[in-house]
Amino acid sequence: MTDPVYLDNAATTPLDPRVLDAMLPHLGTRRGNPSSLHALGNFARDALEEARESVASLVGASPEEILFTSGGTESDNLAVLGLARSATPEKRHVVVSSVEHAAVREAANRLQSEGFEVSPIGVDPDGLVDPAEFAALLRAETALAAVVWANNEVGTVEPVRELAEICAEREIPFHADAVQAAGRVPLDVSAAPVSTLALSGHKLYGPQGAGALYVREGTQLEPLIYGGGQEKSLRSGTQNVAGAVGLGEAARLAREEMDDRVTHERELRERIFAGLDAIPDVRVNGHRESRLSNNVHVTVQGVEAESLVLVLDSLGYAVGSGSACSSGGHKASPVLLAMGLPERDAFSVVRITVGKQNTAEDVDGFLEAFSTAVVQLRELSPLYAG
Amino acid sequence: MSDRYRPQVMDHLVHPRNAGEIPDPSGRGESGDAACGDVACFTVEISENVLEEVRYKVYGCAACIAAGSALAELVRGRHLLDAASISKANVEDALGGPLPIGKEHALTLVLDALHKAFEDHWNRTAADTLFDGERGQGTGTKSVVAAMSGGVDSAVTALLLKEAGYDVATVTFRLHDGERGSRSCCSPDTVLFARDTAHRMGLPHFTLNLKELFRRRVMQDFVGSYKEGRTPNPCVACNAHVKFHASSFLADELGFHHVATGHYARVEEGPTLARPVDESKDQTYVLWPVPRDVLSRTIFPLGEYRKTEVRAIAEERGLAVAYTPESQDICFIPDGNYRTFVRKKVAAEPGEVVDREGRVLGRHAGVVDFTVGQRRGIGVSAPTPLYVTEVRPRSGQVVVGRRQDLEVREVRVRDLNWFLDAKEAGRVQVRYNGSPVSCTLQETEDGEWVASLDEPVMGVAPGQSAVFYTADGERVVGGGVVTHRTSP
Repeated sequence: MTDPVYLDNAATTPLDPRVLDAMLPHLGTRRGNPSSLHALGNFARDALEEARESVASLVGASPEEILFTSGGTESDNLAVLGLARSATPEKRHVVVSSVEHAAVREAANRLQSEGFEVSPIGVDPDGLVDPAEFAALLRAETALAAVVWANNEVGTVEPVRELAEICAEREIPFHADAVQAAGRVPLDVSAAPVSTLALSGHKLYGPQGAGALYVREGTQLEPLIYGGGQEKSLRSGTQNVAGAVGLGEAARLAREEMDDRVTHERELRERIFAGLDAIPDVRVNGHRESRLSNNVHVTVQGVEAESLVLVLDSLGYAVGSGSACSSGGHKASPVLLAMGLPERDAFSVVRITVGKQNTAEDVDGFLEAFSTAVVQLRELSPLYAG
Repeated sequence: MSDRYRPQVMDHLVHPRNAGEIPDPSGRGESGDAACGDVACFTVEISENVLEEVRYKVYGCAACIAAGSALAELVRGRHLLDAASISKANVEDALGGPLPIGKEHALTLVLDALHKAFEDHWNRTAADTLFDGERGQGTGTKSVVAAMSGGVDSAVTALLLKEAGYDVATVTFRLHDGERGSRSCCSPDTVLFARDTAHRMGLPHFTLNLKELFRRRVMQDFVGSYKEGRTPNPCVACNAHVKFHASSFLADELGFHHVATGHYARVEEGPTLARPVDESKDQTYVLWPVPRDVLSRTIFPLGEYRKTEVRAIAEERGLAVAYTPESQDICFIPDGNYRTFVRKKVAAEPGEVVDREGRVLGRHAGVVDFTVGQRRGIGVSAPTPLYVTEVRPRSGQVVVGRRQDLEVREVRVRDLNWFLDAKEAGRVQVRYNGSPVSCTLQETEDGEWVASLDEPVMGVAPGQSAVFYTADGERVVGGGVVTHRTSP
C-alpha cells in the first residue's frame, strides 16, 4: 500500500524528523530522571529546561510560566478545573464559548455537576464570539472564562486578545485553548493578557502525549494530579522528558518557520477553496478571513461524512469527518449546531487540513478524487436531487 | 468484532451494486430520517411475485451504503417469498461478518426500506379490493399466511405451522400510528420486531399497510359508537373487516391456501368455531364475524394448546417473544384511556343525569363519557350505588338506576353472521368474559333476532356482541350486534 496523501493535519501532524532527532537521546540508555542529583539527572533536567525555554519563547512567556503536561486535553482540564476550583467560594460562575474543544466543554460540564453555573457564549454563523456579548455575560462572581483561540473544526480564529483584555480589566481569569492556533497565529501572552494557554505537541509536528500549559505568574491554580511536586507542584509525576524535548524542538521550529509555513499553507488552502468552487452545492463553514491558514471545512450537500471520508481513503486521500455515526443515529457536532447549521447538514461535513509537508500536487490530486467521490455518492443519495 | 470495516464493506462502498432508482416501480420504500443522518430508499419491479429488478439509494455511513448494496444483490431476481426471508444475518454474512459495534442499525435500515417497497407493492396491488371485501377461495396445498403481531401467540402459531410442514409466509399489519416504542401491538418498532422474529424462524415476512381500512372500519366505528350511546368492540370490528380479509388477500396473491392467526379457538366442520383447549383464553366470542368462506380456509393452531404450553414452546425454541407482555385491550389506545381518546375525536355536549322516572339528578359533561353498567364518574351522590342503565344520545340524557335495574331477560340482535342453523343455538354470551346463558331465539319481521334468556344477565349494552353457542356451549352457531335491550 502506498502512503495516502495526508490532509488531516488538524487531527495530528507527522513528526518532524528534526524533532525526532532531538528526542532520540532521551529514549535510549542515557535516560535520566530530571529530579535526580547525578549526571544523568542533570542531562535530563538541562534538556527539559531548554525545552521549557523554547515553549516559553513561542508564546512570549518566561520559562517559569510553562508547565509540561500529557497533552492538550490535560492542559485544558487543568486550566478550567484548576482555575474554577481555586476561586474564592462566592465565585461559582463560569463562561465558556459554544465552540470549545471537548476538553474544555466537558471540563465545564464537570464544573456544572459540581454546582457551578455555566453560561455558554453563542457564536455568529461563522463561529465568531462577539466581544460585547461576551462582556455582558461576565459577572462579579465569574470564576473563569474560556474561549478557544482557534476552533479545531472550522478553524475560525477568535478575537482572543480583545476577550482577554476584557477579563483582565475585571480581574477574571481567562483560559485560551491554543492547541490548533500554535504555530499558525502569533501567541503573544504579553500582548494578550490570558491567564492560561493550552498547547499540544502533536498538532505542531511534535510528539503525541506531550503538551504544555502556560500559567501567568501569580495565577491561582488547583492541581489535578498530586505527588512528588514536579512542575511547581501543579503537575506531579516524573516528566515525559523525550516528549517535552520534542515539544520544545517543535515549538522552536514553529517559531522560526511560522511565516513560511503560514504562507505555504494559505496557498494550498486557497487552491482547495478555488477547486471546490467548481463543485456544486459545497459550502464553506467558518470565517473566510479570520481562519487558520491550514483549514478547509465544508458542507457537501447530499453526502454523508463518513462515507465520503472512506471513499476518499480508498482513493488515497486522508481527510477528517465532521461527525461520528454510531448506534441509533449520528451525533451532530455541537460546534456546528452552535453556528446554526441544520442538523442534517451537520452530518455532511468534512475537514481538510493541510500541513507544511503538503504540495500543490497533493491538492490537485485531492480535488480530482474529491470530485469523483462526491459525484459517486451523490448518485447514490436519496437526499441529493442534483 | 472489529471497530473497522471489513474489505467486503469497503468493496460495496466503493463499488455499489444496483445503485439508483427505478423510474416507475412496482413499489418504493424509504426508511430512516435525514435528521438522524441515515436514509435508505429501495425501488422494486415485481412481476408474478418475482423481484425482477431492484435499485437502492442511501444517504448514510459506509455501513448503510454497503448493506444496501449487499441486500440489493441478495434479493435481485428472486421470488418474493425468498426475498422476504432475507434477514439481517444474511446481509451481514454477505458483508463478511458482523459490522463494527454501533453500526448494526445499517442492517435494520436497509431491510426496512426494502420491506417498505414490498409493502408499497401490496398496497398498489390491493387498491380497493380490501375495502370491497373481494377475495378468492384459496388455492395451493399446504401453504398458509400467518398473521404476526409481534407477540408470543402469533410467533408460536407461525412456528407450529412451519413445523407441521406448511409453507408459511408471515404478515404484520400496520393498523394505526401507535406511539413509537410503546407496547401497543402496531407501533413501528413492533413491525421491526415481528420481522426479526419471522426471520429468525427462517420465514418470509411482509407488512401490509391497513391504516385507512382500520381507520374507516374500526376507529370511526369506535368513536361513533360512544357518540351514539353504544359500547363498541374494536377487536370484533377488526376481525369482521380487517385482519382476516387482509390475510386472505395476501394468501390469494401468493397462491397460498390457508390463513392463520394466533387466536385461541378451533375451526370445526361446517365450518364453525369451537372452544379451544385453553378455555381461560377462549377467543371465540370475538371471532363471530369472520365470514364463512374465510373461516373455511382458516387455521387456529393455538386452539389445541394451553397458553402455558405456548410460552414453553417459545422458550424452548429460543424465541425472544417468549417474554413479551400480554397484549392489551385496545391496541390503538396504548395508555388504555379510551375516554381521552374519544374526547379528542368528538365534541362532548353537556346533558342531564336522570333516573328511570325522568327526574333530573344532576349534570354531565357529555354522553361519550358513559357506558351501560358504569358505576364510577356519575357525579351524583345517592344512598345506594348508582349505575348507568341507559345512554340516550339524542336527548343527551344518561339514565341511572340501581344494580338490579341493569338486569335484562331479552336481547335484540342484528347484523347476524351464521355458521350453523339458528335452530342449533341454545345459549348466548353477551360479553367477552361472560358465560353463556340458556336462551330461545326468535326472528323478528325486520330481520333482527330476539333472544329470550332463561336467567337475567347484567349490563347488556347496545353495540356489544351477542354470540350464540350450541346447547352444550362448545360451538359457535353465529353472532350479531346487540341493538337495544328490553328490560323485564
